[in-house]
Amino acid sequence: MRRMSRYIISTLLVLIAFSGYSQGKSIDLNPKDTLVYKQPYGLRIGIDLSRPLTSFFNDDYTGLEFVGDYRLSQKLYVAGEVGNEKKTKQEDVYNFTTSGSYIKAGIDYNTYGNWYGEQNMITVGGRYAFGSFSQTVNNYQIYDTERYWSPEGFVSGSTTAEEFGGLTASWLEAVVGVKMELFKNMYLGGSVRIGLLITNKESERFPNLFIPGFNKVTDGSKFGVGYNYTLTYLVPLYNKAKKAEKIVEPVSEE
Amino acid sequence: MNKIRIVLLTMLGIISFSACEKDDICVDGNTPLLVIGFYDVTDTSLVKPVPLLVVKGLDGGDTLAVITNKSLESIELPLRPETDNTTFVLSQNPTTEASTLNEDVITFNYESKEVFISRACGFVANYDNLSGTVGADALNWILAIEVKTTLVANSNETHVKIYH
Repeated sequence: MRRMSRYIISTLLVLIAFSGYSQGKSIDLNPKDTLVYKQPYGLRIGIDLSRPLTSFFNDDYTGLEFVGDYRLSQKLYVAGEVGNEKKTKQEDVYNFTTSGSYIKAGIDYNTYGNWYGEQNMITVGGRYAFGSFSQTVNNYQIYDTERYWSPEGFVSGSTTAEEFGGLTASWLEAVVGVKMELFKNMYLGGSVRIGLLITNKESERFPNLFIPGFNKVTDGSKFGVGYNYTLTYLVPLYNKAKKAEKIVEPVSEE
Repeated sequence: MNKIRIVLLTMLGIISFSACEKDDICVDGNTPLLVIGFYDVTDTSLVKPVPLLVVKGLDGGDTLAVITNKSLESIELPLRPETDNTTFVLSQNPTTEASTLNEDVITFNYESKEVFISRACGFVANYDNLSGTVGADALNWILAIEVKTTLVANSNETHVKIYH
């Protein structure tokens, strides 16, 4: 009896000692599907459709914006925009033109869970943007509620254009966007943006009322609102499977 | 998904409120009026009302309509922003008889400067380097004129003192 228990115990000990080795390589009860679904990665470039369209229908505006993004991982993209805008605005008592360029860079995070084969996006993202521009006061009248000397209206101030150059602004943008794959590698998308003005170098005489890329600057507010509609083409560089689906192979001990 | 909903709602909120702007109506400023106070010539700190004060603008040779007085001690006059001088006719009458009516012509010279106020108001005029001269006649009722402040940027203070 005593010999028997010793035999059992020593067998168990040996088994326990070897159990460490036996666990070294797991038995795969659910063998992986050998058909790996790979998604395209690459550089997507395109243009904003709204700006040329607005330019076409509105005489007081010309604008162009190029957009692009580069896929970093399953959900993360570096994204950016470069553009140029020229806008003339007739206010009640003055008329001004803002003209300049801007660049925006940041990230987009895809929150949309695509079905097999889909390449669509609903993104939230952020940008840092910088604009360089000039403003020109084309003409103005002098605001004066007193009608004694000029009963018919405000007197004209200056009709010679006065340009304020070397203006800059920088702002942060929160972006919500969508992109749908129309057909292979061609995407239609759009985004809405809220800008928060960080720096704003303006003339003492005439403040920045419009900033290219940021849009209208409101009195007493640092927020601006913008949007775009994009048509983009994905230049596929390589394909990569979704990382989360990969089963991590344990490193076998030598 | 919840986070996205919060982000979307926040953006929607900001967008809808950004439409509510006070940018359309000018409430922030105006072209100031020239404020004139009338004082006693013997005691220059004593306010002295002008009997039957009537003020009219003078444009070249044309006398324009009567400018309503704020009071007989202090008046607010509009200057002309498009030129560098404005002339007024100030008349007083110690009696109600036409024979005792005394008209004096006063000309203000200044530099008109346009100042941008806000998106809605645009530019208003301010007047700098203000000076006033009284046209000499046989019997001036205005005995002296003193410019208290050479910059007319608001209508809250007395810019010019007239002693009589």
